[in-house]
Amino acid sequence: MAGKIEDESNDRVPLRLRPEWSDVTPIPQNNGPNPVVPINYSEEFSEVMDYFRAVYFANELSSRALSLTAEAISLNAGNYTVWHFRRSLLESLKVDLHVEREFVERVASGNSKNYQIWHHRRWVAEKLGLEARNSELEFTKKILSIDAKHYHAWSHRQWVLQTLGGWEDELNYCSELLAEDIFNNSAWNQRYFVITRSPFLGGIKAMRESEVLYTIEAIISYPENESSWRYLRGLYKDEATLYVNDTQVSSVCLKILRTKSNYLFALSTLLDLICLGYQPNEDFRDAIEALRTSDNEEQDSDIARTICSILEQVDPIRVNYWVWRKSRLPQAA
Amino acid sequence: MSSSEEASSMETTTIDKDLHVTFAQMMYHLLPNPYESQEINHLTLAYFVISSLDILNSLHLVEKEAVANWVLSFQVQRGTTNDPNNGQFYGFHGSKTSQFPPDENGVFHHNNSHLASTYCALAILKIVGYDLSSLDSESMSSSMKNLQQPDGSFMPIHIGGETDLRFVYCAAAICFMLDNWNGMDKEKVKDYILNCQSYDGGFGLVPGAESHGGATYCAIASLRLMGYVEDNVLSSCNLSSLIDLPLLLDWILQRQGTDGGFQGRPNKSTDTCYAFWIGGVLRILGGCNFVDNKALRGFLLSCQYKYGGFSKFPGDFPDLYHSYYGFAAFSLLEESGLKSLCSELGITNMAANGV
Ligand SMILES: [Zn+2]
Repeated sequence: MAGKIEDESNDRVPLRLRPEWSDVTPIPQNNGPNPVVPINYSEEFSEVMDYFRAVYFANELSSRALSLTAEAISLNAGNYTVWHFRRSLLESLKVDLHVEREFVERVASGNSKNYQIWHHRRWVAEKLGLEARNSELEFTKKILSIDAKHYHAWSHRQWVLQTLGGWEDELNYCSELLAEDIFNNSAWNQRYFVITRSPFLGGIKAMRESEVLYTIEAIISYPENESSWRYLRGLYKDEATLYVNDTQVSSVCLKILRTKSNYLFALSTLLDLICLGYQPNEDFRDAIEALRTSDNEEQDSDIARTICSILEQVDPIRVNYWVWRKSRLPQAA
Repeated sequence: MSSSEEASSMETTTIDKDLHVTFAQMMYHLLPNPYESQEINHLTLAYFVISSLDILNSLHLVEKEAVANWVLSFQVQRGTTNDPNNGQFYGFHGSKTSQFPPDENGVFHHNNSHLASTYCALAILKIVGYDLSSLDSESMSSSMKNLQQPDGSFMPIHIGGETDLRFVYCAAAICFMLDNWNGMDKEKVKDYILNCQSYDGGFGLVPGAESHGGATYCAIASLRLMGYVEDNVLSSCNLSSLIDLPLLLDWILQRQGTDGGFQGRPNKSTDTCYAFWIGGVLRILGGCNFVDNKALRGFLLSCQYKYGGFSKFPGDFPDLYHSYYGFAAFSLLEESGLKSLCSELGITNMAANGV
């Protein structure tokens, strides 16, 4: 402990010793007569919040109040009251919001998984309007380059696209991320977001053909990838008939089944197709038959039942689910 | 504590309830310093602690009257002079930081009532057996309307904030606990939730967002509380539902990984808290037995800390959030000695039913 005098935290001058704060009487926190589940506050935290309460209560719209909010945010980045007061200060002091954006970036570099930071960032971008588009897209890109599945960053990015635009390059961006990691489900989701909502691509109908090809290629490379299978299904959302009748879907199932490895999703997709009315031919029956093991129970002429039996064996975690699926199949004649 | 050293090196096969009670009790008496960074959500932290003790069947360690009075001290009264249509919400503050006394006329100028804090306040009050009918539920409900957005979602606080399924859930749970639905346009809420169901069957926090275990819980629990999804729907013959149920079921079941734990999104690591978010949805739908509960139990035990509590990942240090959802998950697994959970409300059945 004694050797820690040089520690950075000791450089902080308490507010009560700062001359610029000498005229302010802090408002101590009123914990009431019988507080329960108390928090073990540090002195610094209590002091900063006591002064914050004083300036907030007095509605003091000053630059020292603005810097105090920064101190409070560094201690409690989720405090929406502090953030809200900061926004009133930014407005009344007419602070350059480009500078504020840098502040947000500094806070986010410490802890970016915080709803209030992103809400504030959105407020700033809203104020700046269209000129903010590129910086917001760049900012989220930077965060996503560190964590490609960052939920807040994706959410912000979708808001930027919908509010400020910038769709032109988004499909390429998704392809880039998927080239880096084809298992990145967030990038698949963004891809779906783009093809269904971009004003430049003509919607899912116009995109289906090329997207199906792209997805099938991804499936063939990594048939164990849940994300690409779900995306494929998503391309036929509300189009069950089209899904069942598009031979590209059944063909990729068959192709994977014939490899006899990583065929779980191919099998469950085929089951879904059959449940939706697909009539598998001999090729499918042969491929399924080849997956049966000797300990697969009774010979079953019904292919859907056979698929369920195989799934019970190869996907033991969900064995009860496959049993249940089997029980709900229409009884074979 | 003499056996704890041994226990840490041995493969754990049981949940050590006594250690968890000690852990929760320590939190009850004093939340360690790092929790000050979440001070604004003090009521939420308190909810985790007190609901933990309830699940662990140790509510006798809680001073119920003191807790109720403390929680009530966060309530914002509308007072006689404030217009109910002034755009504000009259619920509960999240913490003491942002709470100020009223002026000489009894008017609160700094109303920071928050939906999540209000949900936690009511949940705690129910746990300690406080009769919610003695609250002014009408002013809470009618003012909650001020937070609902044109798309059906809710913002958490009248001064503005992000709107997503988390606050839809809080709003639905508040209405349910108050038994007063005047605070929301249910049809609009329903439409918003349906818009959040993704192409893969799960739900994202906002329309267009990636499916996520927590968001899916908020969606399904809300629909259940609002009466749009029946209990145990999977056991009924007719699976037709407002939502795409088969797709949801397939998505949700796929969240169990080979290590037995649940993940929040496809191709992400498994994590203790999703044992509740995913497990809670399964409980509501009636699909708990479609997963490998033994493997889930094994995963959770690998996240059990030797001095009590649960960590996010195996071998890490515990935190209050993951400990709470670890206890909740064990309750869903029907561990003996734990109270059963009302998963859509996030409190024990005894608390929910006011027993
Ligand atoms: Zn977690």
